[in-house]
Amino acid sequence: MRRKVSAFLVLPLLILLVFTAVNTYAMTEVGTPRRETLIVETQTPTDVPGQFNSYMQGTQMGFGIHQLMSAMMWEMDTITGEQFGEVAAGAPESNEDFTEHIVRIREGIRWSDGEALNADDVVFTFNMIMSNPGIGPSAYYNAVFKSVEKVDDYTVLIKTVDSFPRLALRFGVTIWGNDLRIVPEHIYSQVADVTTFKDSDPVVAGPYIVKAFDSLGKWILYERREDWEYSTVGAVTGKMPQARYILVKYIGDDTTRQMAMVNNEVDILCEVTPEMVEVMTAMNPNIACWYKDFPYATSDDPCSKGISFQMAKEPYDNPDFRWGVTLAMNFDEISVNIFDGVGRASALPILTATAAMQELYYIPLLPWLEAFELDLGDGTTIQPFDTGYALRMAETLKAQGYDIPSDETALIDMFGIGCWKYAPDAAEKLFVKAGLEKRAEGWYFKDQPFTINMTYLADTEAQAGRGLIAAYDQLVKFGFNCNLASESSATWDSNAATGNYEIGGYWPTGGITRDLYAQISGWDANLIVPIGERGAGQGSRWNNAEATRIVQAMSVVSPDSDESYELGMEFMKVATADMPFLGFHSGVKFVPTNSTFWTNYPSAENPYNGPWWWWSCFKYITTEITAVD
Amino acid sequence: MKFAKYVGLRILTWALTIWIGVTFIFFVPRMFPSDPVENMIGRIQSRSGQMDPLEMESLRKSLRIQFGLEGSLLEQYVSFLKKGLLQFDFGPSLMSFPTPVGDIIKTYLPYTLGLMLMTTIFSWLIGNFIGLQAGFRKKQLSSKFLEGVAICIYPVPYFIVALVLQIVFAFLLGWFPLQSTIITMGGFVIFIKSLLRASILPGVSLLLVGTGWWIISMKSLSGTVAEEDFVLYARYRGLSEGRIGWSYVLRNSIITQVTALAMSLGGVFSGSIMTEIIFGYPGVGTLIQKAILQSDYNMILGCITISIVAIATATLIVDLIYPLIDPRIRYS
Repeated sequence: MRRKVSAFLVLPLLILLVFTAVNTYAMTEVGTPRRETLIVETQTPTDVPGQFNSYMQGTQMGFGIHQLMSAMMWEMDTITGEQFGEVAAGAPESNEDFTEHIVRIREGIRWSDGEALNADDVVFTFNMIMSNPGIGPSAYYNAVFKSVEKVDDYTVLIKTVDSFPRLALRFGVTIWGNDLRIVPEHIYSQVADVTTFKDSDPVVAGPYIVKAFDSLGKWILYERREDWEYSTVGAVTGKMPQARYILVKYIGDDTTRQMAMVNNEVDILCEVTPEMVEVMTAMNPNIACWYKDFPYATSDDPCSKGISFQMAKEPYDNPDFRWGVTLAMNFDEISVNIFDGVGRASALPILTATAAMQELYYIPLLPWLEAFELDLGDGTTIQPFDTGYALRMAETLKAQGYDIPSDETALIDMFGIGCWKYAPDAAEKLFVKAGLEKRAEGWYFKDQPFTINMTYLADTEAQAGRGLIAAYDQLVKFGFNCNLASESSATWDSNAATGNYEIGGYWPTGGITRDLYAQISGWDANLIVPIGERGAGQGSRWNNAEATRIVQAMSVVSPDSDESYELGMEFMKVATADMPFLGFHSGVKFVPTNSTFWTNYPSAENPYNGPWWWWSCFKYITTEITAVD
Repeated sequence: MKFAKYVGLRILTWALTIWIGVTFIFFVPRMFPSDPVENMIGRIQSRSGQMDPLEMESLRKSLRIQFGLEGSLLEQYVSFLKKGLLQFDFGPSLMSFPTPVGDIIKTYLPYTLGLMLMTTIFSWLIGNFIGLQAGFRKKQLSSKFLEGVAICIYPVPYFIVALVLQIVFAFLLGWFPLQSTIITMGGFVIFIKSLLRASILPGVSLLLVGTGWWIISMKSLSGTVAEEDFVLYARYRGLSEGRIGWSYVLRNSIITQVTALAMSLGGVFSGSIMTEIIFGYPGVGTLIQKAILQSDYNMILGCITISIVAIATATLIVDLIYPLIDPRIRYS
């Protein structure tokens, strides 16, 4: 009897084991062949599964929706920072004062139900946004556009209320995606209220369609369109996305993400920390990041991290104080503390040193940076730019046993053209110039003991958080009394808008294009509101008349013109002299891939695109990722 | 008359508890230095870089109106009492606007209830059974062993137990998925199969940790009762050990445990955040966590109100049936 009971218990367990083992190696948990399925992580699950309408507010576009299905007017080459037409056949043709724009629509794109994508869809989408106040950007579209009309089946005439030179930059992709996604007119025009239409069985122009989704919001399974050559990607590149299925899946917490990657249960993860990379690569040789070995990460994320000053408060409103903080910090130590020295120095305020921006702005500005001088207030000056950082960091890392190139170009690409000097004596003079007083018991400002309150975002963004903590260590070492606090995202954004901070790990940066207007338009001093109020400009409240003049001048010139570029250079000089934001490194991202089932991911050796799986450009990466034979 | 007064008083206490609880939870999130509109704008900016100043201003106004944050606090509170408390209509989720909070909770609550109810009841039954053995039959080797196991497991933090199970059975052996994948499409059999597979590790982890407390508390209670005069008297009368254990020790020890069970059952509506995070199990725990982080007032209200009502109701039910379990308590 006992034997029978044991067999009764053990047999199902054995069957379960065999079933599990077979499943693990042959099929995914959603029933597709593993070798035909590219598994990609999404950063957050969705609470509204089956909702694919991008104009319904809670839709989580990063769940593969905008990466694989959405139709953008203009897309982005993330390596060069140049836009190209996706639904549009090219750049808009604008009149002289940029109030009328002809947009040609690309021929040959079809919706996944076979209907042709044409000017009707584009005109309908613009007008749908403008006539529905429930769509987030509706009011903005109404403020910008006078009319959007069809000229013929593949030509649209867009009239703007005022001069609008940056149509493609604003309504096309520049970083992550864009809120303008063309919808099929023949579907959406039949819907009574597009803001509550879930669109659970979407008709799309992208190369993939939804095959199935989890009603609990953890995964979406996409299948390549049979007529992929008529999709946006097919029409633009003529190339077929390689994976028949793409499973976009929420993996869970960091521990689970690492285990899933090591067990080959996922092919592509979003951002991780360097410590996680070291663990994963040690356990599974098929796992790699942008670089196969150290420094692993790409430094081309367009959001540099550093420290923001609240410039509506004293003494943070004083450029001498901000420069004092800058020179009080040992950037070499900060680098090591953040990511063990990984990352390209991004010294210019606001402008991120991506590879493209380094070529466009940083290197041309180098002679000016080397000659730039600060008046220390006691009759002496200092030239604060330090071009020796790359070489120093390379030597430091070589001494630790890392394989670092010796070629200067490679070093500049890896570590940047330079950083700000560590000059505590000069910093002390600048603080005195800014009205601070050093006494035996510490620093005083206006006869009161002076304390710097520093905050950083606790939940995410390791680079920004570690940077702020490293900055805290430096300021304490210098002799300041500092408080350090982490904030959850619940209060972080609110404090940014109301200016409720002194020094924060905010990153008012981001930009990948030659024209800097989108990055700097918020620094117009006319947008500044008092502390406690929420304004439309940057929360840092930098009040600089010359910078404002440049922003306003730039707003009316063509983004492609030399004038725009020259104004951008001028802005950077003004910003450097005033130091409204102290940049540490460009956005450093550790984004691991697993080559067990799929290969040819973008990498430093094969940089055909940036490793931005969560951006809308991912659809152009799907044509290159190939199955392992 | 006494019965009516007893019941009336209990119901009044129940209603008052709920009102105070939900009023508290209505006002507290609104006192946080956070703002759902700024959170939404922050999220948009963090993923797409800079936002045109004109666009930011128009978006801010539009969201404030859509989120229903325009009226005074008092107006919002009155509206909540009318709709939320009386009709359980908590309005749209601010983080998943305009999907109603009720729809989202309805999706996840069954999974929370299924897992938590099962594990709470099973751990209560197993724990009390072992605890009774350990307390009543102290000298038996099996009792000492089981008590020892409980004492060892109980102090271990839940997340350690959960992580060990996940690492051993999901990562190393591969018997279970690292993250719960429940296939809700493709038929009932597939759904049940995937649900069971996804629930085993979370369920076992909750059982292991939950049972320990019941063992220790029941052992303590039954050990005390076993020393009472009426138990000694029963022994002198020659009653069997089984009957003494069941009818004398258990019946007198279980009353406190029933109260604790009722409170635990009320608490299951809050979910188990750690289980949901570690095993990726669907549930309302992570909903509450996300709602707090994103200042989704309506979602916080929806989830916590359900929990408050559940705990208050469980307490009310226990109060009402207490005299039935323990004849020493009268309706007075």
